Amino acid sequence: MKKQISILVLMISFYGFSQNATNTYTKRVLENTEVDLISSFYGQDGDNAAVTGGIGTEKLTDIASTITVSIPLNANDIFTIDATISAYSSASSSNLNPFDASGASRGGDDDEEDDNKSAKKNVAGTVNGSPWVESSGASKGDVWVNGDIGYSHSSENRNSIIGANVSFAKEFDYTSIGLGGNFTKLFNEKNTEIGLKANIYMDSWQPAYPTEIISYKEVNNNLNDGFFEGVDILDQKGSIINKTGNTVWSPFNTSLVENKSRNTYSASLSFSQILSKKAQISIFLDIVQQNGWLANPMQRVYFGDRANYYIGNASSISNYTSSKNTDVFQLADDIERLPDTRFKLPIGARLNYYINEVISLRTYYRYYYDDWGITSHTANVELPIKISDKFTLFPTYRYYIQTSADYFAPYEQLLSTNKFYTSDYDLSEFNSNQFGFGISYTDIFTSRRIWKLGLKSVDLKYSNYKRNTGLTAGIISAGFKFVMD
Amino acid sequence: MIKKTLLVLVILGSFNSCVVVKEYEKVYLNDPDMVLADKKINKFETSFQVYREAASGANGGKSGGGCGCN
Repeated sequence: MKKQISILVLMISFYGFSQNATNTYTKRVLENTEVDLISSFYGQDGDNAAVTGGIGTEKLTDIASTITVSIPLNANDIFTIDATISAYSSASSSNLNPFDASGASRGGDDDEEDDNKSAKKNVAGTVNGSPWVESSGASKGDVWVNGDIGYSHSSENRNSIIGANVSFAKEFDYTSIGLGGNFTKLFNEKNTEIGLKANIYMDSWQPAYPTEIISYKEVNNNLNDGFFEGVDILDQKGSIINKTGNTVWSPFNTSLVENKSRNTYSASLSFSQILSKKAQISIFLDIVQQNGWLANPMQRVYFGDRANYYIGNASSISNYTSSKNTDVFQLADDIERLPDTRFKLPIGARLNYYINEVISLRTYYRYYYDDWGITSHTANVELPIKISDKFTLFPTYRYYIQTSADYFAPYEQLLSTNKFYTSDYDLSEFNSNQFGFGISYTDIFTSRRIWKLGLKSVDLKYSNYKRNTGLTAGIISAGFKFVMD
Repeated sequence: MIKKTLLVLVILGSFNSCVVVKEYEKVYLNDPDMVLADKKINKFETSFQVYREAASGANGGKSGGGCGCN
């Protein structure tokens, strides 16, 4: 009898246990507040600066940092704040005003406003500049700041996620406001995931122009006034032109940015599928429409069917496209002109495969099309190698190739008879190779602490980028992830 | 174009018929290196690529706007 009672009590306790089990415990979407810090240093060099019409130094450095704080509001909701700051110094941007007295022409101050009103002369009493020499005007550096606030809600069964975000970005000649929403649905026992995302960016230019073009407008086409007063303009032979004559320099097109807005509308569809216990794939499709002023008003163009005029040292004109030229600058024919709409259609796929406990394989491919005539292919492969329970090495390789935009031609090869034109080599035909190497440290127990923050992971990565047009770049990044108690 | 779209749809449909992997069988798939997204450490690397190349998007991130870039 005692035995029967014991069995009965035992069975009741099992029933009670199972009742507790069915009273489901739902894991929080995010257990604790997480803080991500990422910083990078980027440097590049090349000979095809767009600000100086497709030739000239492209030397640029950029330091950037971002902080992302993800806060669990409750078991289902996450609030995210992201702030980024990026500060660059650029030789090509500095040549928005290449005649800056303290730059190429050696002397004077940094006030670009003043520079536009009258060209500064160096100690020898001449004005000069060069696409190969960094100037020191206000445009030589800039700070880009960006803030993003996001919210996401997951359903109790974790099969649906809905989210929204707003963003703001500002740089000296550009302001952006962004709005976005997303919805993700998981099904098939969370083996399949479909995501929809929509974003709108309402951006606007506060345009900055090449000094000679904006100055020409400011003095009502009078080459003996303002910036041009007392400055000699040379022809291709190096002879000083008669500024009141019939054959003088003038910009081809004096209309500047008419519509300062630049709006971007994008819709994204993503599909993810678990293929096996060791493989999963995702496919992304974006549809993007841009409207507004899509050209960069800082970027000069030079036409092959118009006469050339210079300011500076006449004897350097024959060396103009050589980096040996340090003291003559060609006056622009125009700023780049591009269509006011652009339709982009990128489609990409990721395939990850867990080879064994040591090595995984991460791959990515993207095909890109737009209605400016550009198609491109991107392939990326990464091979994370676990060398201990805390350290992982990840070598990476990326190959990229694109066709030229319909409107691109190199320096002095554009024609003024075309409606649209640019010498921006980012829109030219090229391919690039990028090799990278990273190391990551992960401590799931967050044993190292700073105040209330436990260090969860550290990542370091360096990548080297080479384009067949001559551009080279390197970037080093460091990332830290903290979890708050 | 229609044929290509149909082919993609068929491929996507065939994925759905793969063997369902249960939650307790996802130990390899839950490895941090298996996440189907770009690593956070690549944030600024992706950013410079967006500036220096014409193509962008289809990587789960931004596909245009927000900067005076391409």
